[in-house]
Amino acid sequence: MDFNLTEEQKMIASSAKEIAEAFGPEYWRQKEEKGEFGDEFWKAIGDAGFVGIAIPEEYGGSGRGTTELLTAMEELAANGCGMAGVWYLILTEVFGGLSIVRHGAEEHKRKYLPGIAKGELEFCMALTEPDAGSNTLNTKTTAKKQGNEWVIEGNKTFISGADRAKGMMIVARTTPKEKVTKKTLGLSLFLTDLPHELVEVKPIPKHGINYSHSCQVSFNGLRLPENALMPPQDLGWYSVLDTLNPERMSFTAAAVGIARLAINKAVDYSKQRKVFGDVPIGSYQGLQFPLAEAYATLEAARLLNFKAASLFDNGADAASVGAAVNMSSVAAVENATKAVYWAMQVFGGYGYAKEYDIERWWREINLIRLAPLTHQMALNYIGEHVLGMPRAYY
Amino acid sequence: MNMIVCCKQVLDPEAPPASFKIDPANNKVVPPPGVPPVISPFDEQAVEAALRIKDNQGGKITVLSLGNNLLRDVVKKPLSMGADELILLEDEAFEGGDSWSTAYALATAIKKIGEFDLIFCGRQAADWDAGQVGSGIAELLGIPSVTVAKKVEAVDGKARVERVIADGYQVIEVTLPALITVSNELGEARYATLKGIMAAAKKQPIIWKPSDIGVDPSQIGAPGRRSKLFKLFQPVREGKCEIIEAETPAEAGTNLATKLREAKII
Ligand SMILES: Cc1cc2nc3c(=O)[nH]c(=O)nc-3n(C[C@H](O)[C@H](O)[C@H](O)COP(=O)(O)OP(=O)(O)OC[C@H]3O[C@@H](n4cnc5c(N)ncnc54)[C@H](O)[C@@H]3O)c2cc1C
Ligand SMILES: Cc1cc2nc3c(=O)[nH]c(=O)nc-3n(C[C@H](O)[C@H](O)[C@H](O)COP(=O)(O)OP(=O)(O)OC[C@H]3O[C@@H](n4cnc5c(N)ncnc54)[C@H](O)[C@@H]3O)c2cc1C
Repeated sequence: MDFNLTEEQKMIASSAKEIAEAFGPEYWRQKEEKGEFGDEFWKAIGDAGFVGIAIPEEYGGSGRGTTELLTAMEELAANGCGMAGVWYLILTEVFGGLSIVRHGAEEHKRKYLPGIAKGELEFCMALTEPDAGSNTLNTKTTAKKQGNEWVIEGNKTFISGADRAKGMMIVARTTPKEKVTKKTLGLSLFLTDLPHELVEVKPIPKHGINYSHSCQVSFNGLRLPENALMPPQDLGWYSVLDTLNPERMSFTAAAVGIARLAINKAVDYSKQRKVFGDVPIGSYQGLQFPLAEAYATLEAARLLNFKAASLFDNGADAASVGAAVNMSSVAAVENATKAVYWAMQVFGGYGYAKEYDIERWWREINLIRLAPLTHQMALNYIGEHVLGMPRAYY
Repeated sequence: MNMIVCCKQVLDPEAPPASFKIDPANNKVVPPPGVPPVISPFDEQAVEAALRIKDNQGGKITVLSLGNNLLRDVVKKPLSMGADELILLEDEAFEGGDSWSTAYALATAIKKIGEFDLIFCGRQAADWDAGQVGSGIAELLGIPSVTVAKKVEAVDGKARVERVIADGYQVIEVTLPALITVSNELGEARYATLKGIMAAAKKQPIIWKPSDIGVDPSQIGAPGRRSKLFKLFQPVREGKCEIIEAETPAEAGTNLATKLREAKII
């Protein structure tokens, strides 16, 4: 078992670190406050080839795997970008790139991947619906065949980046729930170009990550050509797992990265801040222990996440990938949240002030227990699929 | 255009100051654990200067690094930025040198490389800040050198260099071959790209031992030092804050200026 990064992976990590240092907390504080997209950052990672890490070389990427993608993501987050270092890459490279690499037809690959790899074609994914969050199989958006066109009707919610994206992957029902032999059947994946007059997009004001907008999306009879479907029809649930698993891995990388960033800042501060006498607050075990515990368990989450990436890259079955993904997610969510909580605590009242950035990372870290998959659903997965316990819900 | 860039692996100057430690008994800096070394930032800008010339008119960039146990992912960075070849002068005999013994070994290696039009160095290494090696190499090779450049162009067998001075810059023309040391005013060095990183990971550096370049062993590394380090220590810094009192802002300014003049700061 080799825990060392290869020479190439180390170079990817150090290049990511360098870019992150150029787009540090102050940059993101301003972008977040203004609700503005980080254009300069996006251009920098696009030019450096980070948006194409996991896209094959023949389509303009670098042909590496999720291991390299996660390495870059974690370093970007940990060295100054926080969630922003991961978020834009998830929307375009994971939702767009990886989905199309794994399940797109040749014409989809040729149409979308080169633009995605350069960072010029932003993407988004429309999966969640008002009544289908944790339960994707409740998807009500329909795609019906009329002649040689698909007509899409329905509403999606929380679709991040839909206000800017030029491409979108849509999860829609092609066979009604009542007519399928198995409830995981009947969903299909479609690709559409945006903006489109029959796709209404409305940003939802939210708690954090405001350098990106998550939107309500309505498809009002959107007509797509026959070849907008990513085959195979009706088996979209199985295909989309190849998007959702790397998405979760990316969130774990974000969690570890944000926690590293917050812990480092808190540790530095704790060595200088003196409240009683001439001892720095960092010497109090009341502050040290929770940080140490969070840090140690996050390192475990991180390694398990790399295991998940290695399984995914080497084509392991969905059950093995799913087990590693969900277990690392559980460890990351609990401990990254704890890490940022205690980083804020170390800063005392200053942790609550925008100037110190911790409150922004706190708002960022709050997402990972809710999305892409709620913490409870990850636990459900482990209970049912890893431990083999009876399922509690239907 | 044949260009050579000298790049030094140094302790990361951005490492937290609290992690900086020295071993006073041996007059040595103790590398901070968990903070990987980097290419000296001025040297990265020297690579950038060479790359800009290569972007404009083509050419070959050979990077030369001297040391021992050099980390491959660190010393290969210039390759990932777009340099063509990496030569490592790597041996324990090169350890513990000073500006002279380093310049001597690098100059000897450059003679072995043979053909070159321009040699670039950083204005100084980010660890010892001596700023001697560049000029030393030029002296040993008998070629002109221009220091602290902020812009370098190569035209008609000459280099046109904008050289930083206290309140502006000079424009200097120098015949080639020449050596130029590069300052931070050149602007940010480019990021390593994924394509560059992949190419760099595949390339094997050429490794030269002292015997490969035919240096006099008594003139390299610690034995070759011409300077002696007597004492390495961390000065204790004390911050003192004085509030300049005054009735009006104008008066406060005058009082501040007087204080600064008394302290011989202005
Ligand atoms: C900022 C943000 C960005 C997002 N971006 C996107 C995007 O780009 N694309 C996209 O498609 N979606 C996106 N989402 C949606 C996200 O994936 C969902 O919010 C998430 O899957 C949870 O679904 P829900 O909000 O409907 O919660 P619900 O499913 O309604 O869950 C509510 C609560 O009930 C609990 N619960 C539900 N079922 C069970 C059970 N069986 N056992 C125990 N507890 C249970 C959950 O854990 C949760 O605590 C985003 C969400 C947010 C907040
Ligand atoms: C929004 C806001 C509004 C406020 N409004 C007011 C106001 O109206 N008026 C006012 O006067 N003040 C106000 N405050 C200030 C507030 O009371 C202080 O922030 C608070 O007392 C903590 O002090 P500190 O921020 O200096 O933290 P510090 O004292 O620096 O504490 C930093 C960390 O060290 C820990 N620590 C310190 N000593 C020990 C120890 N001996 N053992 C273990 N741990 C220790 C603390 O628990 C904390 O986690 C406000 C603060 C905020 C954020």
